[in-house]
Amino acid sequence: MKTSAVTYVKHFALFAAIMGLWEVAARQEWVDSLLLPAPSKIFTALINIMFQSGLMWHHFGVTLYETVAGFLIGSVIGFVLAVLAAQFMGFKTYSTPYVIALQVTPRIALAPLIIAWFGFGISAKVVIAAVICFFPPFVNTLTGLLDYDRDRMEMFRSLRASRWQIFTQLQLPGAMPIIMAGLKTAISLALIGAIVGEFISASEGLGLLMQRFTFQLNMAASFAILVTLTLMGLILYWIMEVLDDRLVYWRHDTRLQQRATRDRRRYASLLKGVGGGPALQPAE
Amino acid sequence: MKEGRIATMADTTIRGEGVSKIFSGSVVAVEDAHFDIRQGEFISIVGPSGCGKSTLLRMVAGLIDITSGNLTINGSVVSEPRNDVALMFQKATLLPWKNAMENVLIPTSLQGRKITDADRKQAIDLLQLTGLSGFEFAYPDQLSGGMQQRVALARLLNTGSNILLLDEPFGALDEFTRETMNMELLRIVSEVKATALFVTHNIAEAIFLADRVFVMTPRPGRLARIVDVPFGKDRTPDLAQTPEFNRIVSEVRSILGAGH
Repeated sequence: MKTSAVTYVKHFALFAAIMGLWEVAARQEWVDSLLLPAPSKIFTALINIMFQSGLMWHHFGVTLYETVAGFLIGSVIGFVLAVLAAQFMGFKTYSTPYVIALQVTPRIALAPLIIAWFGFGISAKVVIAAVICFFPPFVNTLTGLLDYDRDRMEMFRSLRASRWQIFTQLQLPGAMPIIMAGLKTAISLALIGAIVGEFISASEGLGLLMQRFTFQLNMAASFAILVTLTLMGLILYWIMEVLDDRLVYWRHDTRLQQRATRDRRRYASLLKGVGGGPALQPAE
Repeated sequence: MKEGRIATMADTTIRGEGVSKIFSGSVVAVEDAHFDIRQGEFISIVGPSGCGKSTLLRMVAGLIDITSGNLTINGSVVSEPRNDVALMFQKATLLPWKNAMENVLIPTSLQGRKITDADRKQAIDLLQLTGLSGFEFAYPDQLSGGMQQRVALARLLNTGSNILLLDEPFGALDEFTRETMNMELLRIVSEVKATALFVTHNIAEAIFLADRVFVMTPRPGRLARIVDVPFGKDRTPDLAQTPEFNRIVSEVRSILGAGH
């Protein structure tokens, strides 16, 4: 279903209305403009930190690095542990209590400890991001690997598939949709972890800027940082969506169609001599 | 129970002697089944739910151990899945991330060798044999239920196995598609000269397809009788209207009735 032009216009109108109301509210001093600056002020501050002083970019890079590195470390650890847990049921039995304990503990509370262990630099934030985002990839991978289709498993067994073949050709691809869902959650958690780490103690990063501007009561700049963080979140989300589209292509109709057409072209020579047949039509 | 022609050891493909399966110590799924199945025979196994027909099939497939008795294929005891036996299920069990051709190639790739163009050609040929010309590269989600089962049938044939075990393969399809698929199945099985074991709870379907019908009754699961179906290999849907066909239907029904 395509989004119609009318829908876009409605979206824009709604957004403009909210911004307009906010602008008026701030200018008319309905709200304290010191606490809630007008959108125009925020926009000016945003332009300043992005293009005039260019102050933001270094800190943007630092936070992005902490987030992505933490995400990669946390996800890989979560994935590997889940694979082990799925292969060796004993591992699952013995690891489950710790995993649950780790889940119910607000892991953000580990942040000061981690800073005590790893120092005030970037590595501590990477570790905090990793610790916070590790869980969804772990749980989702484990769930996905154990929740295979019993009939497909029987089919694989009847074809004398090895354990490795079952893992790589049946369980892992079957778990990919839910693993990707876990990774999408993880990336936003990693961003939270990085920012919280910077709040606690940092010499660089958007979290630090945010805190500094708020202490200075430079609210417009604080909001500008917030917008920047939204931007970062969107970029990360978009990257994950693209990955999902590529890795879990069978959940996306247009991808399936593209691949079917591509394969038909690739193997055209094999279709010759057996009549070829009409081009693919969607069934039913 | 000893009905049917007497098979000699030489042409027996599958032999069961006192085959029993008891689950969790007490649930008797199959009790004391005796049978001989010859090379190239089409056997239907018919009975209500819980009569052990799927269990019997899975024992032949080597997926379930037998509790007691003796089960051999071509003289060797069945203890695990074998190369010459392949199974087809009520669900198509296709992998949604593989297109039709790749799904047909699953048995080949599980043999652990590299897929060649010759393999792909064979898969495409099988898909065309099962009536899927034009859909060789379609993904399961793009296919109807009947077409998915056709892919599963092509995959079954691509195992190269000459013993085909079919567990209600068209049970989830609508009546019309099912009838068409049955006709295709008959044609293909006789074309590849395979031995077939076909599980169903539909009496008419069982008789229509089979050379012999194994009638099973539940609680405990027993192979109550083996009924001969004296029609040749060339069958048309009109067969189901003949008095002889209906006589066999009544016979099977009375065996099933007596078993309750």
